[in-house]
Amino acid sequence: MEILDLTAEVQAKLKKYRLRESEYELMKSLLKRDPRSIEWALFSALWSEHCSYKSSKVHLKKFAWKHPRVLTSEGENAGVVDLGEGERIAFKMESHNHPSFIEPFHGAATGVGGILRDIFTMGARPIALSDYLCFGAPEAPRMKMLMKQVVKGISYYGNCVGVPTVSGATYSMPEYNQNILVNAFALGLFEGDRKVTVSGAQGVGNYVVYVGAKTGSDGVHGASMASEAFSEDMESKRPTVQIGDPFFEKLLIEACLEILDQKLVVAMQDMGAAGLTSSSFEMASKGQVGLKLHLDRVPLRDSRLGPEEILLSESQERMLLICEPSKLNAIQEIFHKWGLESTHIGEVVKSREVELLWNGEVLTKIDPDLLVENAPMYQRPYSALKIKNNYKYQDQTLAKDSKKWIYRQYDQRVGLRTVQEAGHPVALVRLDSGRMISIALGCRPWLMKQDPVVGAYDTIFEPAIKMVCAGAWPVAITDCLNFGNPEKPEIMSEFVASVEAIAHSAKLWDAPVISGNVSFYNETEGRSIPSTPATGVVGLKQKNSPLVKDYFTAENLNVALIGLDEPQNFNPEETLKSAKSLFELIEKGSAFGARLVTEKGLNHSLELMKQANFECNIISSGDLNCLYQVIVVYDPKDPKIETEIKSAFKNFAILGKTQKMKSNFDFSPLTIQFAKTWGVS
Amino acid sequence: MKIGVVRFPGTNCDRDVFKWLEDQGHKPQWLWHEDLFSANEVEGLAVPGGFSFGDYLRSGAVAARSRVMQSVKEVADSGKPVIGICNGFQILCEAGLLPGALIPNESGLFIDDWAELENPSTKISIKLPVAHGDGRFFIHEDERKKLWDNNQVWWQYKNSLNGSIDKIAGVTNKAGNVKGLMPHPERAYRDWMGGVDGWKFWI
Repeated sequence: MEILDLTAEVQAKLKKYRLRESEYELMKSLLKRDPRSIEWALFSALWSEHCSYKSSKVHLKKFAWKHPRVLTSEGENAGVVDLGEGERIAFKMESHNHPSFIEPFHGAATGVGGILRDIFTMGARPIALSDYLCFGAPEAPRMKMLMKQVVKGISYYGNCVGVPTVSGATYSMPEYNQNILVNAFALGLFEGDRKVTVSGAQGVGNYVVYVGAKTGSDGVHGASMASEAFSEDMESKRPTVQIGDPFFEKLLIEACLEILDQKLVVAMQDMGAAGLTSSSFEMASKGQVGLKLHLDRVPLRDSRLGPEEILLSESQERMLLICEPSKLNAIQEIFHKWGLESTHIGEVVKSREVELLWNGEVLTKIDPDLLVENAPMYQRPYSALKIKNNYKYQDQTLAKDSKKWIYRQYDQRVGLRTVQEAGHPVALVRLDSGRMISIALGCRPWLMKQDPVVGAYDTIFEPAIKMVCAGAWPVAITDCLNFGNPEKPEIMSEFVASVEAIAHSAKLWDAPVISGNVSFYNETEGRSIPSTPATGVVGLKQKNSPLVKDYFTAENLNVALIGLDEPQNFNPEETLKSAKSLFELIEKGSAFGARLVTEKGLNHSLELMKQANFECNIISSGDLNCLYQVIVVYDPKDPKIETEIKSAFKNFAILGKTQKMKSNFDFSPLTIQFAKTWGVS
Repeated sequence: MKIGVVRFPGTNCDRDVFKWLEDQGHKPQWLWHEDLFSANEVEGLAVPGGFSFGDYLRSGAVAARSRVMQSVKEVADSGKPVIGICNGFQILCEAGLLPGALIPNESGLFIDDWAELENPSTKISIKLPVAHGDGRFFIHEDERKKLWDNNQVWWQYKNSLNGSIDKIAGVTNKAGNVKGLMPHPERAYRDWMGGVDGWKFWI
């Protein structure tokens, strides 16, 4: 009887904390005893798919690559790239899919807030934002509202915090009707000689300081919620969504960068998924030290909160930092100036244990490595996939329309670095050296659906070729891998194939994957989204690189189409070779304009190139049916250029010559369809 | 010129305005919202854009009532040039240093775009970026007439943008030394920014 009772109790706990029986066995063997009450909450949070990467970790190792440009070690908040000339950048991309489907405005807003904290935690000032969004069909239930509210949430947060949203990618397919995707990308710049901040706690006797917003009950169990498929009871999950305050975040950015500049900080970590639990245990584990934390000292928005809720709350705009005791006053003064609180809540201790106290009572004392380093790791079954070479351009709802309605709501120029904003195929952001960073997001879900291997290569090739057209070459990559249930072999197979294709592409382009995020269980009632490995590709355009426009700039120029791959026969090595030839052509100044034709088709691309009131007088329609075909504009007076282009690209077709338009280019027809489809004005 | 740049918590165009002034040969210096200063310390003032105090009440309402505004008023009264850009314009209106008010855009949406502007007296036309949610200029009918009679309309949008009365984008005070506008001249003073009409725009 007793055993039966215990089992029922354990079963109930396993259900509440979203853990498995095998994981319970592992917990017991690691602890050498039954877990105590609060420990259930800790294991639940840190062993969630979201925090532990337990289904993906074995495969993500394929991204590990020591590249001379990369400055951070694995596991930091964001990757750091050294661009030379004293300029270093950090960037990352993260999903906020589940919260955004439940509560789109705050879900999307806090997605932006979270990714910004990952960047300034490193010591970099955020200078650019971008978003990768997938919506369902406009006629699906709630969908028009979801689209409007997600855009409004991004606009609300990004604009107020003062970081420009410079690019984005948006798709709409019925496959996302019950599980939209909201992935936020942020990039930061290390100003002056500010050091890259570490997250590992160090120095016995140093203080643990809690800074930023007070803790509330929002987002409790958020990490384990995000690690679960959706069922029908979505309404009941609304309290697990966090509420964001961009004004607070702005103050936090300024205060944090100021204390870093004054060298007052030993280590810093933001409180993201699983809040205080993950930040404190990860800081302890990474620093190979112990921490003593007085949970009763944590500033609260709601005095009724108990230790478990405090540990699991995902209240936004909070950070944890480690400082020397003598620096506490100076830190508190700076935070006070910015109207923020900073509270000393604990110390770094010698014993390799995290000790959690509540009004003097020890709740637990536990080796952080048990939770962080010894999390279960699963080798989920999968089979190897090959390139099928079976794809064709597929128009999807949003692609037909201009997305100006979306990006017009984003501040794209604050910070004085924007050279090319969201209306262009690739964003260009100026550095102080005069060089430019290019940003483009990849992953075309319709292609992933048709041929997952080609689709996964395309997540790098498409944004990379777009930036080549602008005269930039990729320097590093981040990814946000959105997939269904990894326990299903067909999903896991696409996941593994995607990781391998992205890793291979990264090698080919010499642009390492420096950070990333995995979002599994994107399914509702057993129906999965198409595998969507979104990427953020960041490139560099050199100072003396010629200006190449993505539109026609003068009359009497030749317009031709070149193919970088063979129709229905994608070969990554060959396509890269062609991309290199295109880059050389542009670097030499032989092309005045270049634009990658998208799934919207050749005519649509030619239409967009009319924006400076020149058009192409088409003499031959010349579609090459390649996956990557680029419209190039060049000078007809120098016959060598055409010869050079023809010899470099086997797939070549003359389209026509540019001429002055009779009337001014009218953008509005391109925006009308969008407004009609989505019921906006 | 020695130009004070006023910062509130949530101001986010402060560094941009600082650089804009510096690149044009001025000597910008920071002024914090809690500090008082003497009008003799500066030759002019710039109040940059952003979301002061989060703009959670009414855009610029809290900032307009902060300590530093006493000194800002002194400078304004002394006849030295004062400019408010975007949220800075909203703050100067809230503080009563400029006429009218800025209310939410007609569309209810934030607008980021380039806008063509015209000065109604000189007929000079320029192109500057706009980025605002509450940029719709409003003023009571009798006040509106005075605005025109006194030549206080500084810039008008050529095409209706946000529902402003008389397409007004910027105004001045009666004396003409205090100016405010919603568009951002500091975002357009180099070729690579997409336009240079913000160069030598103000002083």
